[in-house]
Amino acid sequence: MLQPFFDWMQALPISQAIGSSIWIFPLVQAIHLVFLALFAGAILIVDLRLLGLGMRLQPVSQVARDARPWLIAGFLGMFATGLPQLMQNASREYFSEFFWYKMYLIAIGLILIVTIRRKLTQVDEPSAAGKVVALVSIAIWAGVVINARLIGLFT
Amino acid sequence: MAEFMMPLRDLFFWVSEFPTSIAIRESLYVSPYLTVAHVVSMCLFAGLIVMMDLRLLGIGNMRTPFSEVQKRLFPWQMLGMGLSSITGLTLAYSDPMRFYVNIFFWTKMLVMVLAGINAMAFHYITYNSVMTWDTRETTPFGAKLSGALSIVMWAIVIVSGRLIPYNWFQN
Repeated sequence: MLQPFFDWMQALPISQAIGSSIWIFPLVQAIHLVFLALFAGAILIVDLRLLGLGMRLQPVSQVARDARPWLIAGFLGMFATGLPQLMQNASREYFSEFFWYKMYLIAIGLILIVTIRRKLTQVDEPSAAGKVVALVSIAIWAGVVINARLIGLFT
Repeated sequence: MAEFMMPLRDLFFWVSEFPTSIAIRESLYVSPYLTVAHVVSMCLFAGLIVMMDLRLLGIGNMRTPFSEVQKRLFPWQMLGMGLSSITGLTLAYSDPMRFYVNIFFWTKMLVMVLAGINAMAFHYITYNSVMTWDTRETTPFGAKLSGALSIVMWAIVIVSGRLIPYNWFQN
């Protein structure tokens, strides 16, 4: 259904320009990983706290509030460096199961962040549900990273 | 390659002929999955290093005392470092001659050493005075310098690591 859209992205002059340079794509890919570290740090510092690990003397709500700007910055940085990589390779990635697993997991992960996880991080001490959500969150984002790396290795 | 590098080259070549090195190199799946595990463990290590560096810079996690950020994140950073080291060393072990000729591999190794020296310098110099700035709204210059150097150097490590497959300068 989305294939014409992916082919259209691939055919854009900007996508062609990215593809015709030998260094733009690798550099964008590398910077994507730097933003990944930022994003992963902002996720983990909160999820570890929810699990009663990490900075466990601080209230959960405080750790989550401090991490939020870096979580948003990390995500925006990954989006800005991820989109050009997709555009340059859109027609092939459309047929990569790993690409689609990654997109579904990102969608689920983002919905979790703005709904249940947001609610459960408004307390001082985590509930049992908070611990479950922390484990689910870590699993989802690890799944995103694993599938993302597999796009490059097996597409 | 320069004459003084020869013993190192010999070492890498010697390792490349170990049966287990050859076995991993010839396997279709071991190296890719090691690469995946390397990236996941990098998230744990670099992610929590960055969280601490932002606190050192005085721009992130400021409601937590620095000593508390350091103490509570340290075990997880070490776990991340352990997992990245195991997966990274196994990758290097499986194909030493590929890495020996790679400028990005050596850049990564060099900058990792520098980042380690930066962390040690912080620990033995600036951290001694932590009680005077642990909960202050601003951090001292030494702390900011260590935090900035750490972020820049680990970013270079990540970037040069990702660029290893694109060895533009190999003749």
